[in-house]
This record gives sequence, C-alpha cells and structure tokens, in this order.
Amino acid sequence: MRLPPFDYAEPKSLAEALTLKEQHQEAVKVVAGGTEALVQLKLRLIEPRVVMNIKKIPEIEGIEETAEEIIIGANTSLKTIGRSPILREKFGAAAEAAGLVASPTIAAMATVGGNLLQNTRCLYYDQSEIVLKGLEKCHKRGGKTCLAVKGSTRCFSVYQGDLAPALMAYNGKAVLEKKGGSRTISLEDLFSGNGIQPFTLDPEEILTRIILPKPKGTSGSAYRKLRIRGSVDYPLTSAAAFMVMKDQKISEARVVIGAAGAAPKRVETQLQGKTPQEADLNAIADQAYSLSEGVDNLTMPGAYRRKMVRVFTKRAIQGAIEALKGGK
Amino acid sequence: MKRHAITLTVNEESHQLHILPNRTLQEVLRDDLHLTGTKESCGEGTCGSCTVLVDGQPTRSCLTLAVAMEGKKITTIEGLAQGDTLHPVQEAFVQYHGIQCGFCSPGMILTAYALLQENPNPTEKEIREAISGNVCRCTGYAKAVEAIQSVAERR
Repeated sequence: MRLPPFDYAEPKSLAEALTLKEQHQEAVKVVAGGTEALVQLKLRLIEPRVVMNIKKIPEIEGIEETAEEIIIGANTSLKTIGRSPILREKFGAAAEAAGLVASPTIAAMATVGGNLLQNTRCLYYDQSEIVLKGLEKCHKRGGKTCLAVKGSTRCFSVYQGDLAPALMAYNGKAVLEKKGGSRTISLEDLFSGNGIQPFTLDPEEILTRIILPKPKGTSGSAYRKLRIRGSVDYPLTSAAAFMVMKDQKISEARVVIGAAGAAPKRVETQLQGKTPQEADLNAIADQAYSLSEGVDNLTMPGAYRRKMVRVFTKRAIQGAIEALKGGK
Repeated sequence: MKRHAITLTVNEESHQLHILPNRTLQEVLRDDLHLTGTKESCGEGTCGSCTVLVDGQPTRSCLTLAVAMEGKKITTIEGLAQGDTLHPVQEAFVQYHGIQCGFCSPGMILTAYALLQENPNPTEKEIREAISGNVCRCTGYAKAVEAIQSVAERR
C-alpha cells in the first residue's frame, strides 16, 4: 500500500514543532512512532498536506520522577513504559497496558502520545479506500448516517487505546502545548466523547507530557484486556483498576473501562472505607456493563463484548487487589 | 511534494538518495537499493515480514518513512551473512527446517537476531513472545523456535 503525497517536516525542538503546528493547524498530521498514522494515511482515512515527525524531539521523551509526580514525555515508547522499573513498581496497570499493545516490535516503535491520541475505530470506517467507496458515508466520514447502528444520529465508533484507561485510573493529566502557552488538563478532559472528533485538542496544540500523581499510601493496580490475537489486536473490552490502602481500608479506588464507547469510561466503585474483602465486585461489574456500548462494529459481536465488560472489570479489580497484597 | 536529500546507511554502506517523503523504508530498500530480502505482506504493521533493524531494534519498515532514517543504522537480512557464510541464526533456520516458503523468514530471523543480541539465553516463552509479531502461514512456529533455541544453547 502506497502513501498519499504530503510534505514532510522534522522539527528538532518543541518550539519549532509548535510554530509549525500553529502555522498549518489541521493541515498537519503529527507523527511519532507512525504505527497508527501511517496505516491511516495508507487507507486514505487522512490526507494531510504536511506530515510532521516529532520523534526527533528529545525534550519530550523519557520518564522523570519528582517528589509528587511521574512525568512521561509523549515521545516515550511503549516498550520503555512497559519496562520502566518505577512504573512497574508503582503504576503496574500502565506498564501492563503498554506491554499488551500489539507485538514487541510495534511497542518499540509506538509512543504513549500516539497511543493516547489514536482515532476511534469501527469496522465501517477502518477500511481501504476501495471498500469505503462501496459504503454510504457515515458520520465519521462527514456523512449523515451510522452503518453500525442503522438510523442513529450519532457516531458509534469505539476508542480502543490501551493506555488511556490505565492512566485515567491514576487520575493522570495531559500537558497540551501551543506556541506561547500551555495547559494541563485531566486525561478525561482530553476526550470529547464524540466518535467523529474524539479529542478536545485545539488545532494548534500538541500533547507533550503525561503527568501521574504518586499514590498516597500503599497502592495496587492492574489492566486486563480482551482480544482474539495476542500480538495484533486492539482491546475488544478492557478495564483498569487502581486502589490505595490506608489503615487496612481502601482510601481511593478507581476503575476505568475501555473499548466501551468513544472514550474510556469511569465506573463508580464505592469502595472507599471498605476492606478488599468487603468489595462487591458484582455491583461494580454491573455498573460497568450499564456504561458500555455493545455495538456490532468490531471483530466480536457487541452483545458478547458487553458481557465481557463485566468479566474484565472484575479481573482488573482482582488484579489490583493482588498487586496491593504485593505491597506495590 | 518536495524531494529530500538523505543519507541512508544500510548494512554499513552509505547511500545518497533524493527521495519523496511519502516513501516507506520498505519501498526504498526494495525498489531503490534492490535489497529484496525485505518483504511486504500486510503493509499495515501486523505481519512482520517487512521487519528490519534500525539501530539494532526490530522495526516495521512498511510503517517507517525512509526520509526519517537519516543518521540511523539499518540492517536488512542481506547484512547478516558474511560473504557466503550464513549467520548462525540463518544457518540454524536451515538446519532445523524453520523455513518453507521463506516469506516471513527475513523478518523472523532479524527479530531473533535482535533478541539474542539483547538476551543471549532466552527461554522458550521469551522467544515466542519476541517473534509474536512475525506471522508465518506455512512452517508454523515450532521449528523456528527450536532453531533460535539451538543458537542460544551453542553460545
């Protein structure tokens, strides 16, 4: 498959990249690892005038630890995240999620920024130009129909990033920079919830860093994912759980499910003040089930994926409790 | 679309190229440098047949822009053998019948080579995980795994 024509920019500093982003705005596609963007380009799902490779900007690569936070540069590879001792120790779900993305070769190329900002997916959208020519234009392609849910007035494409649920479970934040300014928002606010345009980034902004607050107390977390082919598939259902213990009681608990709609979704846990033994996993799983959208637009039937949300939510919580026992 | 002048270092040889930015590394290796050991199958990063090493790291050349490879050291399957002498990993794939049609072999052998550079004594599980992104549709994986194990044991 050939790539469409584009001009190429390779800024060597963040300042240079932000200037280019301001200049070209939506006409520029930011690429780092390329594992997502190049596929979209080949399929002609995007046809930007300029492709800007930010991978050679070292200032936004690497994992830094401060007294209160962990700061991850957007260019940090998923391989680095999966192997990072500090993340494996204190942010197990993030390391697990990174380790479960595609194959080791892809994980070495792909970056956390690119993984977070991957487009929502749908069997009626992620197809070649030839297949799409034979289909009516759906909401995501600028049309007025949904091919997955006939008659729907909105887009049902699914966000299938692995890292976002895990990073959201830690109440992670995203740093968005533009020329002459920057803002830090919660990862939740990075998502619009709308499958047509899944992110809230302004056209002149670039995601540069992810900030994770360090847990206050003994913590445990886990990420679980359903897929058919271990080394290939995006999550068909996923769940991340994070818990902090203080005086034998759960002081903080957060569960986030992925592949359940156009954005990861937070599940109400009501675990605060309880011991792990008192946790009503079925109640949390029911919550997760009611939040998830099971539509027949991925490689497994929607009804099945929705049922599996229950199973994987429980597995993630159990995994977090196990990790907690390990004192991580 | 503006052409870019780049120096591409492949198998320790430098090539001065004047290329369009929308060409993948896989296209340039095959079409411009005639290094046809690098294969294209799925073209979207799933199958691993286009795998080459970039600074020693297995990389999908079908999802890599050639223009971004300035200053990188690229190794293709042609770069492993010394003249007529095959590299021990290649030799082992022949010896253990790890090759039938051979389409996945360049990618799988380079991935195995990189694994052994990083971890000279991998377990079977580590080997299987390392080559999990290299899809074979005829030989199967048992023979390839045995071949890689045999190289590790001989060290």
